[in-house]
Amino acid sequence: MNDDRMDELLAEAARDYNAPADVPRDEIWSRIQAERGARRRDRSPNRVWMWPTVGIAAAALLAVGVTLGRRMERSASPAAAPLTVATPQTARDSTGQLITQLRHETTATDRRVRELASANPATAIDRAGGATQPDDATSLSYHLVVLKHLAGSEALITAFRSAARNGEIDAQIAAWSKELLSTTRMLEASVATDDPTMKRLLEDLDLVLAQIKQYVTRGTNNPEDLDLIEQSIIKRGVITKLRGTVPARNVPAGI
Amino acid sequence: MPEIAKLNVVSENPRLIDRQLVHRCLAGEPQAERALYDAHVERVYRLVHRMAGDADLAADFTQETFIRAFDRLDQFRGDSSLATWLHTIAVSVALNGMRKVKRIRARTDNIDETPDLAARTTGFTADLKARLHSAIDALSEKLRPVFVMHDVEGYTHEEIAGTLGIPVGTSKARLFDARAKLRLALAAFAGDHIA
Repeated sequence: MNDDRMDELLAEAARDYNAPADVPRDEIWSRIQAERGARRRDRSPNRVWMWPTVGIAAAALLAVGVTLGRRMERSASPAAAPLTVATPQTARDSTGQLITQLRHETTATDRRVRELASANPATAIDRAGGATQPDDATSLSYHLVVLKHLAGSEALITAFRSAARNGEIDAQIAAWSKELLSTTRMLEASVATDDPTMKRLLEDLDLVLAQIKQYVTRGTNNPEDLDLIEQSIIKRGVITKLRGTVPARNVPAGI
Repeated sequence: MPEIAKLNVVSENPRLIDRQLVHRCLAGEPQAERALYDAHVERVYRLVHRMAGDADLAADFTQETFIRAFDRLDQFRGDSSLATWLHTIAVSVALNGMRKVKRIRARTDNIDETPDLAARTTGFTADLKARLHSAIDALSEKLRPVFVMHDVEGYTHEEIAGTLGIPVGTSKARLFDARAKLRLALAAFAGDHIA
Protein backbone atom coordinates (compact mmCIF):
# COMPACT_ATOMS: atom_id res chain seq x y z
CA MET A 1 0.00 0.00 0.00
CA ASN A 2 1.52 3.34 -1.02
CA ASP A 3 1.59 6.51 1.11
CA ASP A 4 -1.14 8.25 -0.90
CA ARG A 5 -3.53 5.35 -0.46
CA MET A 6 -2.65 5.25 3.24
CA ASP A 7 -3.39 8.97 3.65
CA GLU A 8 -6.63 8.53 1.73
CA LEU A 9 -7.73 5.76 4.08
CA LEU A 10 -6.66 7.78 7.06
CA ALA A 11 -8.73 10.77 5.93
CA GLU A 12 -11.72 8.53 5.24
CA ALA A 13 -11.49 6.89 8.65
CA ALA A 14 -11.17 10.31 10.27
CA ARG A 15 -14.37 11.53 8.60
CA ASP A 16 -16.34 8.59 10.00
CA TYR A 17 -14.73 8.64 13.42
CA ASN A 18 -17.45 8.96 16.11
CA ALA A 19 -19.66 10.74 13.60
CA PRO A 20 -22.43 12.60 15.43
CA ALA A 21 -26.09 12.47 14.46
CA ASP A 22 -28.36 15.53 14.79
CA VAL A 23 -27.84 17.64 17.89
CA PRO A 24 -30.70 17.16 20.38
CA ARG A 25 -30.70 20.94 20.78
CA ASP A 26 -33.97 21.44 22.68
CA GLU A 27 -33.49 18.40 24.91
CA ILE A 28 -30.06 19.56 26.06
CA TRP A 29 -31.33 23.12 26.56
CA SER A 30 -34.17 21.84 28.79
CA ARG A 31 -31.67 19.84 30.82
CA ILE A 32 -29.39 22.85 31.19
CA GLN A 33 -32.29 24.95 32.42
CA ALA A 34 -33.35 22.26 34.91
CA GLU A 35 -29.81 21.80 36.25
CA ARG A 36 -29.19 25.50 36.62
CA GLY A 37 -32.53 25.93 38.39
CA ALA A 38 -31.66 23.12 40.79
CA ARG A 39 -28.24 24.61 41.43
CA ARG A 40 -29.74 28.03 42.15
CA ARG A 41 -32.20 26.46 44.59
CA ASP A 42 -29.40 24.57 46.33
CA ARG A 43 -27.43 27.80 46.71
CA SER A 44 -30.37 29.73 48.17
CA PRO A 45 -30.28 30.68 51.89
CA ASN A 46 -33.23 28.35 52.58
CA ARG A 47 -31.14 25.40 51.42
CA VAL A 48 -30.55 24.07 54.94
CA TRP A 49 -34.28 23.71 55.51
CA MET A 50 -34.70 21.79 52.29
CA TRP A 51 -32.87 18.67 53.45
CA PRO A 52 -35.41 17.40 56.00
CA THR A 53 -38.11 17.80 53.34
CA VAL A 54 -35.99 15.91 50.83
CA GLY A 55 -35.38 13.23 53.43
CA ILE A 56 -39.04 12.77 54.23
CA ALA A 57 -39.99 12.70 50.55
CA ALA A 58 -37.21 10.25 49.75
CA ALA A 59 -38.17 7.95 52.60
CA ALA A 60 -41.78 7.98 51.46
CA LEU A 61 -40.84 7.25 47.86
CA LEU A 62 -38.41 4.58 48.99
CA ALA A 63 -41.22 2.86 50.85
CA VAL A 64 -43.37 2.99 47.72
CA GLY A 65 -40.56 1.56 45.58
CA VAL A 66 -39.80 -1.31 47.92
CA THR A 67 -43.48 -2.00 48.41
CA LEU A 68 -44.20 -2.15 44.72
CA GLY A 69 -41.12 -4.24 44.01
CA ARG A 70 -41.88 -6.85 46.64
CA ARG A 71 -45.56 -6.91 45.77
CA MET A 72 -44.57 -7.53 42.18
CA GLU A 73 -42.33 -10.41 43.21
CA ARG A 74 -45.13 -11.94 45.27
CA SER A 75 -47.62 -11.70 42.45
CA ALA A 76 -45.07 -13.19 40.06
CA SER A 77 -44.16 -16.18 42.26
CA PRO A 78 -45.96 -19.46 41.53
CA ALA A 79 -46.91 -19.88 45.20
CA ALA A 80 -48.88 -16.68 45.13
CA ALA A 81 -50.73 -17.52 41.96
CA PRO A 82 -53.73 -19.31 43.53
CA LEU A 83 -54.47 -16.25 45.66
CA THR A 84 -54.90 -13.93 42.75
CA VAL A 85 -58.38 -13.32 41.45
CA ALA A 86 -57.29 -11.33 38.45
CA THR A 87 -57.55 -12.72 34.95
CA PRO A 88 -54.18 -13.13 33.17
CA GLN A 89 -54.85 -10.02 31.06
CA THR A 90 -55.79 -7.98 34.16
CA ALA A 91 -52.68 -9.23 35.93
CA ARG A 92 -50.54 -8.20 32.99
CA ASP A 93 -52.16 -4.75 32.93
CA SER A 94 -51.60 -4.40 36.64
CA THR A 95 -47.94 -5.39 36.30
CA GLY A 96 -47.57 -2.91 33.46
CA GLN A 97 -48.98 -0.16 35.67
CA LEU A 98 -46.61 -1.10 38.47
CA ILE A 99 -43.66 -0.95 36.11
CA THR A 100 -44.80 2.43 34.81
CA GLN A 101 -45.05 3.72 38.38
CA LEU A 102 -41.61 2.36 39.24
CA ARG A 103 -40.08 3.87 36.12
CA HIS A 104 -41.39 7.27 37.21
CA GLU A 105 -39.58 6.69 40.51
CA THR A 106 -36.41 5.76 38.67
CA THR A 107 -36.57 8.85 36.48
CA ALA A 108 -37.09 11.05 39.55
CA THR A 109 -34.17 9.40 41.34
CA ASP A 110 -31.93 9.81 38.31
CA ARG A 111 -32.90 13.49 38.12
CA ARG A 112 -32.09 13.91 41.80
CA VAL A 113 -28.66 12.27 41.37
CA ARG A 114 -27.92 14.62 38.48
CA GLU A 115 -29.03 17.60 40.58
CA LEU A 116 -26.77 16.51 43.41
CA ALA A 117 -23.89 15.93 41.01
CA SER A 118 -24.29 19.35 39.42
CA ALA A 119 -24.65 21.06 42.80
CA ASN A 120 -21.49 19.29 43.96
CA PRO A 121 -19.37 19.00 40.83
CA ALA A 122 -16.45 17.57 42.78
CA THR A 123 -18.59 14.55 43.51
CA ALA A 124 -19.37 13.80 39.90
CA ILE A 125 -17.30 14.05 36.77
CA ASP A 126 -14.54 16.09 38.38
CA ARG A 127 -14.16 13.68 41.25
CA ALA A 128 -11.53 11.89 39.21
CA GLY A 129 -9.44 15.01 39.31
CA GLY A 130 -9.44 15.55 43.07
CA ALA A 131 -12.12 14.85 45.62
CA THR A 132 -13.38 17.22 48.26
CA GLN A 133 -15.08 16.23 51.48
CA PRO A 134 -18.87 16.39 51.18
CA ASP A 135 -20.83 18.21 53.88
CA ASP A 136 -23.37 16.38 56.06
CA ALA A 137 -26.34 17.55 54.06
CA THR A 138 -24.79 16.27 50.84
CA SER A 139 -23.95 12.92 52.40
CA LEU A 140 -27.48 12.59 53.74
CA SER A 141 -28.96 13.46 50.36
CA TYR A 142 -26.78 10.90 48.62
CA HIS A 143 -27.62 8.28 51.21
CA LEU A 144 -31.34 8.76 50.69
CA VAL A 145 -31.13 8.85 46.95
CA VAL A 146 -28.98 5.69 46.92
CA LEU A 147 -31.57 3.87 49.02
CA LYS A 148 -34.27 4.88 46.56
CA HIS A 149 -32.11 3.72 43.69
CA LEU A 150 -31.44 0.35 45.33
CA ALA A 151 -35.15 -0.16 45.95
CA GLY A 152 -35.85 0.59 42.28
CA SER A 153 -33.09 -1.77 41.18
CA GLU A 154 -34.47 -4.60 43.30
CA ALA A 155 -37.86 -4.04 41.72
CA LEU A 156 -36.38 -4.11 38.22
CA ILE A 157 -34.43 -7.32 38.83
CA THR A 158 -37.57 -8.95 40.19
CA ALA A 159 -39.65 -7.72 37.26
CA PHE A 160 -36.99 -8.83 34.78
CA ARG A 161 -36.71 -12.33 36.24
CA SER A 162 -40.46 -12.73 36.11
CA ALA A 163 -40.81 -11.32 32.58
CA ALA A 164 -37.85 -13.33 31.25
CA ARG A 165 -39.31 -16.57 32.64
CA ASN A 166 -42.53 -15.87 30.74
CA GLY A 167 -40.79 -14.50 27.64
CA GLU A 168 -42.61 -11.18 28.11
CA ILE A 169 -39.81 -8.64 28.22
CA ASP A 170 -41.07 -5.39 26.77
CA ALA A 171 -39.70 -1.97 25.86
CA GLN A 172 -40.50 -0.60 29.32
CA ILE A 173 -38.13 -3.04 31.01
CA ALA A 174 -35.47 -2.30 28.40
CA ALA A 175 -35.69 1.45 28.98
CA TRP A 176 -35.95 1.01 32.75
CA SER A 177 -32.78 -1.10 32.93
CA LYS A 178 -30.91 1.47 30.84
CA GLU A 179 -32.00 4.30 33.15
CA LEU A 180 -31.04 2.38 36.28
CA LEU A 181 -27.64 1.50 34.82
CA SER A 182 -27.02 5.15 34.01
CA THR A 183 -27.94 6.20 37.57
CA THR A 184 -25.77 3.42 39.03
CA ARG A 185 -22.78 4.69 37.08
CA MET A 186 -23.38 8.24 38.22
CA LEU A 187 -23.56 7.04 41.82
CA GLU A 188 -20.34 5.08 41.35
CA ALA A 189 -18.66 8.40 40.61
CA SER A 190 -20.17 10.06 43.68
CA VAL A 191 -19.53 10.28 47.41
CA ALA A 192 -21.90 7.32 47.77
CA THR A 193 -18.88 5.08 47.14
CA ASP A 194 -16.98 6.48 50.10
CA ASP A 195 -18.57 3.58 51.96
CA PRO A 196 -16.68 0.45 50.74
CA THR A 197 -19.71 -1.81 51.21
CA MET A 198 -21.88 0.50 49.15
CA LYS A 199 -19.12 0.74 46.54
CA ARG A 200 -19.06 -3.05 46.14
CA LEU A 201 -22.84 -3.24 46.00
CA LEU A 202 -23.01 -0.57 43.29
CA GLU A 203 -20.31 -2.38 41.31
CA ASP A 204 -22.22 -5.66 41.55
CA LEU A 205 -25.40 -3.88 40.57
CA ASP A 206 -23.61 -2.25 37.63
CA LEU A 207 -22.59 -5.69 36.35
CA VAL A 208 -26.05 -7.22 36.70
CA LEU A 209 -27.85 -4.22 35.21
CA ALA A 210 -25.39 -4.13 32.30
CA GLN A 211 -26.10 -7.82 31.64
CA ILE A 212 -29.85 -7.25 31.83
CA LYS A 213 -29.63 -4.23 29.55
CA GLN A 214 -27.62 -6.20 27.03
CA TYR A 215 -29.99 -9.17 27.20
CA VAL A 216 -33.08 -7.08 26.55
CA THR A 217 -31.36 -5.00 23.88
CA ARG A 218 -30.32 -8.09 21.95
CA GLY A 219 -33.82 -9.51 22.21
CA THR A 220 -32.65 -13.02 21.36
CA ASN A 221 -34.02 -14.54 24.59
CA ASN A 222 -31.03 -16.85 24.74
CA PRO A 223 -31.45 -19.15 27.79
CA GLU A 224 -27.66 -19.29 28.27
CA ASP A 225 -27.47 -15.51 28.60
CA LEU A 226 -30.34 -15.61 31.05
CA ASP A 227 -28.49 -18.27 33.02
CA LEU A 228 -25.39 -16.06 33.16
CA ILE A 229 -27.44 -13.19 34.58
CA GLU A 230 -28.99 -15.49 37.15
CA GLN A 231 -25.52 -16.73 38.14
CA SER A 232 -24.30 -13.16 38.59
CA ILE A 233 -27.28 -12.31 40.78
CA ILE A 234 -26.81 -15.41 42.91
CA LYS A 235 -23.00 -15.55 43.10
CA ARG A 236 -22.75 -11.90 44.04
CA GLY A 237 -25.71 -12.14 46.38
CA VAL A 238 -27.18 -9.03 44.80
CA ILE A 239 -30.76 -9.46 46.01
CA THR A 240 -29.62 -10.39 49.52
CA LYS A 241 -27.35 -7.36 49.67
CA LEU A 242 -30.04 -5.08 48.31
CA ARG A 243 -32.51 -6.27 50.89
CA GLY A 244 -29.90 -5.98 53.61
CA THR A 245 -29.26 -2.38 52.65
CA VAL A 246 -32.77 -1.13 51.99
CA PRO A 247 -34.34 -0.75 55.44
CA ALA A 248 -37.16 -3.24 55.96
CA ARG A 249 -38.98 -0.85 58.29
CA ASN A 250 -39.86 1.21 55.26
CA VAL A 251 -41.85 -1.67 53.89
CA PRO A 252 -45.45 -1.54 55.14
CA ALA A 253 -46.87 -4.59 56.89
CA GLY A 254 -48.25 -7.27 54.65
CA ILE A 255 -45.76 -6.70 51.84
CA MET B 1 -30.24 29.85 14.99
CA PRO B 2 -33.83 30.31 16.12
CA GLU B 3 -33.22 32.92 18.81
CA ILE B 4 -30.22 34.83 17.58
CA ALA B 5 -32.25 36.40 14.79
CA LYS B 6 -34.59 37.95 17.34
CA LEU B 7 -31.78 39.85 19.01
CA ASN B 8 -31.00 43.34 17.99
CA VAL B 9 -27.47 42.57 16.93
CA VAL B 10 -25.94 45.72 15.49
CA SER B 11 -22.61 44.42 14.27
CA GLU B 12 -21.38 41.91 11.75
CA ASN B 13 -18.11 41.59 13.63
CA PRO B 14 -18.14 38.20 15.38
CA ARG B 15 -16.15 39.48 18.36
CA LEU B 16 -18.62 42.32 18.85
CA ILE B 17 -21.56 39.96 18.56
CA ASP B 18 -19.90 37.76 21.18
CA ARG B 19 -19.48 40.71 23.52
CA GLN B 20 -23.03 41.92 23.01
CA LEU B 21 -24.36 38.45 23.71
CA VAL B 22 -22.25 38.08 26.82
CA HIS B 23 -23.38 41.48 28.14
CA ARG B 24 -26.99 40.60 27.58
CA CYS B 25 -26.56 37.25 29.27
CA LEU B 26 -24.91 38.89 32.25
CA ALA B 27 -27.77 41.38 32.37
CA GLY B 28 -30.08 38.40 32.83
CA GLU B 29 -31.75 38.26 29.41
CA PRO B 30 -32.97 34.68 28.92
CA GLN B 31 -33.27 35.23 25.15
CA ALA B 32 -29.59 36.12 24.97
CA GLU B 33 -28.65 32.95 26.82
CA ARG B 34 -30.64 30.89 24.38
CA ALA B 35 -29.09 32.77 21.48
CA LEU B 36 -25.59 32.10 22.79
CA TYR B 37 -26.48 28.44 23.20
CA ASP B 38 -27.99 28.19 19.72
CA ALA B 39 -25.00 29.87 18.15
CA HIS B 40 -22.48 27.43 19.63
CA VAL B 41 -24.20 24.19 20.58
CA GLU B 42 -23.71 22.56 17.19
CA ARG B 43 -19.91 22.73 17.21
CA VAL B 44 -19.62 21.99 20.93
CA TYR B 45 -21.80 18.91 20.57
CA ARG B 46 -19.95 17.72 17.47
CA LEU B 47 -16.61 18.12 19.20
CA VAL B 48 -17.55 16.28 22.39
CA HIS B 49 -19.34 13.59 20.39
CA ARG B 50 -16.18 12.97 18.37
CA MET B 51 -14.26 12.74 21.65
CA ALA B 52 -16.79 10.52 23.44
CA GLY B 53 -18.24 8.42 20.62
CA ASP B 54 -21.58 8.17 22.39
CA ALA B 55 -24.70 10.32 22.02
CA ASP B 56 -25.68 10.17 25.71
CA LEU B 57 -22.22 11.14 26.87
CA ALA B 58 -22.05 13.88 24.25
CA ALA B 59 -25.34 15.31 25.55
CA ASP B 60 -24.02 15.13 29.14
CA PHE B 61 -20.75 16.84 28.22
CA THR B 62 -22.52 19.53 26.18
CA GLN B 63 -24.86 20.21 29.06
CA GLU B 64 -21.98 20.48 31.53
CA THR B 65 -20.04 22.74 29.14
CA PHE B 66 -22.84 25.29 28.88
CA ILE B 67 -23.66 25.16 32.60
CA ARG B 68 -20.03 25.96 33.40
CA ALA B 69 -19.93 28.61 30.70
CA PHE B 70 -23.02 30.41 32.00
CA ASP B 71 -21.67 30.18 35.55
CA ARG B 72 -18.35 31.71 34.54
CA LEU B 73 -19.50 34.09 31.84
CA ASP B 74 -18.34 37.06 33.91
CA GLN B 75 -14.80 35.68 33.55
CA PHE B 76 -14.93 35.83 29.74
CA ARG B 77 -12.68 38.76 28.81
CA GLY B 78 -12.89 38.56 25.05
CA ASP B 79 -9.17 37.87 24.57
CA SER B 80 -10.16 34.90 22.46
CA SER B 81 -13.42 34.33 20.62
CA LEU B 82 -16.38 33.06 22.58
CA ALA B 83 -16.26 29.87 20.47
CA THR B 84 -12.64 29.22 21.49
CA TRP B 85 -13.47 29.90 25.13
CA LEU B 86 -16.44 27.49 24.99
CA HIS B 87 -14.41 24.82 23.20
CA THR B 88 -11.74 25.04 25.88
CA ILE B 89 -14.38 24.24 28.49
CA ALA B 90 -15.84 21.50 26.28
CA VAL B 91 -12.49 19.74 25.78
CA SER B 92 -11.77 19.91 29.50
CA VAL B 93 -15.21 18.51 30.38
CA ALA B 94 -14.91 15.76 27.76
CA LEU B 95 -11.40 14.69 28.80
CA ASN B 96 -12.29 14.59 32.50
CA GLY B 97 -15.53 12.76 31.74
CA MET B 98 -13.82 10.22 29.50
CA ARG B 99 -11.26 9.38 32.19
CA LYS B 100 -14.11 8.41 34.47
CA VAL B 101 -15.98 6.55 31.74
CA LYS B 102 -12.87 4.58 30.78
CA ARG B 103 -12.49 3.36 34.34
CA ILE B 104 -16.09 2.18 34.40
CA ARG B 105 -15.84 0.61 30.94
CA ALA B 106 -12.74 -1.27 31.98
CA ARG B 107 -14.94 -3.17 34.41
CA THR B 108 -17.82 -3.81 32.03
CA ASP B 109 -16.16 -4.02 28.63
CA ASN B 110 -16.67 -7.75 28.41
CA ILE B 111 -20.39 -7.16 28.88
CA ASP B 112 -21.07 -4.08 26.83
CA GLU B 113 -18.72 -4.81 23.97
CA THR B 114 -20.00 -8.12 22.73
CA PRO B 115 -18.43 -9.10 19.45
CA ASP B 116 -20.68 -8.21 16.58
CA LEU B 117 -20.65 -11.19 14.25
CA ALA B 118 -22.04 -9.14 11.38
CA ALA B 119 -19.09 -6.78 11.60
CA ARG B 120 -16.64 -9.64 11.29
CA THR B 121 -17.96 -10.57 7.90
CA THR B 122 -17.34 -7.13 6.39
CA GLY B 123 -14.46 -6.56 3.98
CA PHE B 124 -10.89 -5.45 4.29
CA THR B 125 -11.66 -1.71 4.12
CA ALA B 126 -14.25 -1.90 6.87
CA ASP B 127 -11.85 -3.89 9.05
CA LEU B 128 -9.16 -1.38 8.34
CA LYS B 129 -11.44 1.49 9.28
CA ALA B 130 -12.41 -0.23 12.51
CA ARG B 131 -8.71 -0.77 13.25
CA LEU B 132 -8.00 2.89 12.55
CA HIS B 133 -10.84 4.01 14.80
CA SER B 134 -9.37 1.86 17.58
CA ALA B 135 -5.97 3.40 16.89
CA ILE B 136 -7.47 6.91 17.17
CA ASP B 137 -9.14 5.86 20.44
CA ALA B 138 -5.75 4.69 21.67
CA LEU B 139 -3.96 7.98 20.98
CA SER B 140 -2.77 9.76 24.10
CA GLU B 141 -4.72 12.57 25.76
CA LYS B 142 -2.32 15.05 24.19
CA LEU B 143 -2.50 13.75 20.64
CA ARG B 144 -6.14 12.72 20.29
CA PRO B 145 -7.78 16.14 20.84
CA VAL B 146 -5.45 17.71 18.28
CA PHE B 147 -6.10 14.97 15.72
CA VAL B 148 -9.86 15.03 16.31
CA MET B 149 -10.04 18.82 16.13
CA HIS B 150 -7.85 19.18 13.04
CA ASP B 151 -8.36 16.11 10.87
CA VAL B 152 -11.87 15.18 11.97
CA GLU B 153 -13.58 18.50 12.73
CA GLY B 154 -11.49 20.81 10.56
CA TYR B 155 -10.24 23.30 13.17
CA THR B 156 -7.19 25.37 12.24
CA HIS B 157 -3.97 25.07 14.23
CA GLU B 158 -4.59 28.60 15.55
CA GLU B 159 -8.02 27.57 16.85
CA ILE B 160 -6.61 24.39 18.39
CA ALA B 161 -3.77 26.32 20.01
CA GLY B 162 -6.24 28.82 21.49
CA THR B 163 -8.58 26.10 22.72
CA LEU B 164 -5.95 23.84 24.27
CA GLY B 165 -3.72 26.66 25.48
CA ILE B 166 -0.66 25.47 23.56
CA PRO B 167 1.57 27.14 20.96
CA VAL B 168 0.66 26.69 17.29
CA GLY B 169 3.92 24.82 16.73
CA THR B 170 3.02 22.33 19.44
CA SER B 171 -0.35 21.74 17.81
CA LYS B 172 1.37 21.01 14.50
CA ALA B 173 3.92 18.71 16.14
CA ARG B 174 1.20 16.78 17.95
CA LEU B 175 -0.78 16.34 14.74
CA PHE B 176 2.37 15.05 13.02
CA ASP B 177 2.93 12.55 15.85
CA ALA B 178 -0.70 11.45 15.84
CA ARG B 179 -0.69 10.82 12.09
CA ALA B 180 2.60 8.93 12.34
CA LYS B 181 1.14 6.63 14.99
CA LEU B 182 -1.98 6.03 12.93
CA ARG B 183 0.04 5.28 9.79
CA LEU B 184 2.03 2.79 11.81
CA ALA B 185 -1.14 1.06 13.00
CA LEU B 186 -2.47 1.07 9.46
CA ALA B 187 0.76 -0.30 7.99
CA ALA B 188 0.90 -3.11 10.55
CA PHE B 189 -2.66 -4.11 9.73
CA ALA B 190 -2.21 -3.85 5.97
CA GLY B 191 1.01 -5.85 6.30
CA ASP B 192 -0.82 -8.62 8.14
CA HIS B 193 -3.36 -8.86 5.35
CA ILE B 194 -0.84 -8.74 2.53
CA ALA B 195 1.22 -11.39 4.26
